[in-house]
Amino acid sequence: MNFFKRLYLFSVFSFLYLPIFILILYSFNNSKYSLNWSGFTLKWYDKLMENEELLDAAIHSIMVATSSSLIATLLGSIGAVAFFRYTFSGKKLLNAIVFILIMSPEIVMGIALLILFVLLNIQLGFTSLLIAHISFSLPFVLVTVMSRLSGFDKNIIEAARDLGAGEMDIFTRVILPNILPAVIAGFLLSFTLSLDDVIISFFVSGTDFEILPIKIFSMVRLGVSPEINALSAIMFTFTIVVVALSQFLIRERIQ
Amino acid sequence: MKTKAGWFGKLSIFGISSWLVLFGLLPFLLVFIASFLTRGDEELILYTFSTESYLKIFDPLYLDVFLISFKLSAISTLLCLVIAFPFAYFLSQVSRKYTSLLLVLTIIPFWTSSLVRTYALVVILKTKGVMNAVLIGMGIVNEPIEIIYTDVAVIIGMVYTLLPFMILPLYASFEKFDKRLIEAALDLGADRQTVMVRIIIPLVLPGIIAGISLVFLPSLGMFFISDLLGGANDLVIGNFIKNQFLTFRDWPFGSVASVILTFLMLLLIWVYSLADKINKKKNDELF
Amino acid sequence: MKKILSGLLLLGSVAFGADNVLYVYNWSEYLPQKVIKQFEKESGIKVKYSTYDSNEAMYAKIKTDKKSSYDIIVPSTYFVSKMSKEGLLAPIDKSKIPNFKNLDQTLLYKPFDPKNDYSVPYLWGSTGISYNSALLGKGAVTSWADLWNPKYKKSVLLTDDLREVFGMSLKVLGYSANDTDPKHIEQAYQKLLALKPNVKVFNSESPKQVYLSEEVKLGMNFNGENYMANQESPDLKYVYPKEGIMLWVDSLVIPKNAKHIDGAHKFINFLLKPEIGKIISEEIGYASPNAASVKLLPKAIQSNRIIYPNAQDLKNSEFQTDIGSAVKVYEKYWERFKALK
Repeated sequence: MNFFKRLYLFSVFSFLYLPIFILILYSFNNSKYSLNWSGFTLKWYDKLMENEELLDAAIHSIMVATSSSLIATLLGSIGAVAFFRYTFSGKKLLNAIVFILIMSPEIVMGIALLILFVLLNIQLGFTSLLIAHISFSLPFVLVTVMSRLSGFDKNIIEAARDLGAGEMDIFTRVILPNILPAVIAGFLLSFTLSLDDVIISFFVSGTDFEILPIKIFSMVRLGVSPEINALSAIMFTFTIVVVALSQFLIRERIQ
Repeated sequence: MKTKAGWFGKLSIFGISSWLVLFGLLPFLLVFIASFLTRGDEELILYTFSTESYLKIFDPLYLDVFLISFKLSAISTLLCLVIAFPFAYFLSQVSRKYTSLLLVLTIIPFWTSSLVRTYALVVILKTKGVMNAVLIGMGIVNEPIEIIYTDVAVIIGMVYTLLPFMILPLYASFEKFDKRLIEAALDLGADRQTVMVRIIIPLVLPGIIAGISLVFLPSLGMFFISDLLGGANDLVIGNFIKNQFLTFRDWPFGSVASVILTFLMLLLIWVYSLADKINKKKNDELF
Repeated sequence: MKKILSGLLLLGSVAFGADNVLYVYNWSEYLPQKVIKQFEKESGIKVKYSTYDSNEAMYAKIKTDKKSSYDIIVPSTYFVSKMSKEGLLAPIDKSKIPNFKNLDQTLLYKPFDPKNDYSVPYLWGSTGISYNSALLGKGAVTSWADLWNPKYKKSVLLTDDLREVFGMSLKVLGYSANDTDPKHIEQAYQKLLALKPNVKVFNSESPKQVYLSEEVKLGMNFNGENYMANQESPDLKYVYPKEGIMLWVDSLVIPKNAKHIDGAHKFINFLLKPEIGKIISEEIGYASPNAASVKLLPKAIQSNRIIYPNAQDLKNSEFQTDIGSAVKVYEKYWERFKALK
């Protein structure tokens, strides 16, 4: 590959990563306002750990992410298999809904769900967040698992049926092991989408259950601060871990 | 192969269908209905039919708001396309042993919180931020460049946040691409330009449309980018909708804007399916 | 799997909290952390604190989240009237707040809450002009009208408040900031059209950080924000405009669906302690309605004109009052003003 192409790739990568690296650098700077380097320090990370409201919000976010991705993965994987195996009326409509949900700008989903919750008198809080997060993760799980299923040999299922296996058995013992990488990928994707969601959560969160992205947004609106730099560094590291983990798990499975 | 569903199958179908209809389709229908209702004074919404909100949107003042937002998003999408196209192409040409690593490096920004990434830009683009410190320090400029709270900052923010969304579908398209086609065309005497326009672009067209949809539509709604980087008038439709719902309390009016966005999305989906058809036709022609 | 579930449940019960909680919804940068911490220590009640930057956003949140369980909110005067008329507020039991007696009588029993049944004054302050004297020169700005000067293109900050922005325009035209005449309000809107090209950003959340980072050179500001900015840089000057400054009072109220009414009363009583009012004033630069607190303040603070203006400063000044249904006219023009290119 020639030099120019390599340079181009490198430049774009730098563009993508440089701002975050600068953030991480400054999270260790021993100065609150100045851009000049005043020495290495971990005190901003310490301050972060003492910020109870932030830690609360982080725990809340993890709670919502875990529960919503578990449910979305369960519902989505079983649903994807159902789409694959059976023909039933309304399939086309459901496919269209999935496609629309994936393509929709988050703000439309956000206010749509808000209207629904207000109409159904569902309290804004953990419940509304859970439902909302499952709803935007579900289509991604469906698509991920369905794409994996597209290469699946239906004859195996036929063979299993001939041997007398029941439906649920076929799912858990024949299909599931084969689609597991996609299921895991779907779970990780849902988890990340949930942790990072700002727009939809902005509309459907309630007063007593604050989540991390909203808290960060209100902090950032008050200005730049080293604590936010430290928080960003932690979140970025967490992302790298999740991506590495997902790559590892998927590759393991394929082996 | 038709399979009749037993109890497990029926339950699965019921589970997924009801969720998709109740929390997928229904909310959208409600938005559509809400766009035809009236704003309440003390109540959130009055169940009185009215097309007032639709008429209000055609007020040149608000059309202007939409136009500004479209302009910002269009420029950002175009920039993303221009930057991502060669990137995805070169990436697909990288030797096998580096592909996984480079893909992971491309995915990481994609999975990093957009809020954190936008914040990083605030730190850099501020008048007293890193960029100006470097420019002044290196003597390139004498006065700080005031970028933040302008439309330029918003465009930079959108491109920065959404670039991975353009790269990945383009890369997927290039990946599927049979490189032998290019060799064959070159062998037959076509110049690089012709190869690009008549072979490469039509075959990666679905990827281009997908990338455009994944950048253009969300950029219209990402209010936090314009909130953090934009000035008084650098607002996107997302800000408009958010304000109608959470400040001005004109839910019908906000719903109209959402309906317009949804309509745009359906339009793009339709264009995508057209591009897909062209792609299939081209594939059939060539093979 | 079971272990994970039970662990999550435990975490859930911890996170969802017990009864010893108080949900406070306040303006941003309007209550020092150390005051919250002291209240938590003395009362044993955990404070969950969230913020807003405009009355309208606060009101919309209360309306949308009907079951919202804030225990304390801090609306401005005209929203106290609005919310109490709509039955959104719980009565305040004065027998539970003995420190009520510390309050300055002249700020009590106003028309928007004649018997102070629903509200207790929290802080009062002003919205005036801030300008960067290092960039513009000392004494460069003396009146609201100065903001309209074309040389300040894209250099002005306006607070994100319809009453304040229109109030400023009304005062420039010689009217009252509490004017209810639709014709005058429209004139104020027309006048504002000429100001829009100068506006770089609207910000009520933290104007001081915009001024300090020199993204704008001058504009509207809250007195406390200017005071806090001066802790970092003396260059930001606060001006009492010739046409008259706008004064306001924010009051503590308890929403009707508050779940911790007792705790809310304890909180209000705590805030009315003389030392607490003093700390708040010193930290964030707004004036305390607590007469006992003012007495405790060091001379330097008592005579700081940013917090406690003198009679000359207050010439032509007005307190923001309830204007009833006329606010709808303001709202209509405000929306247009913000949407304008």
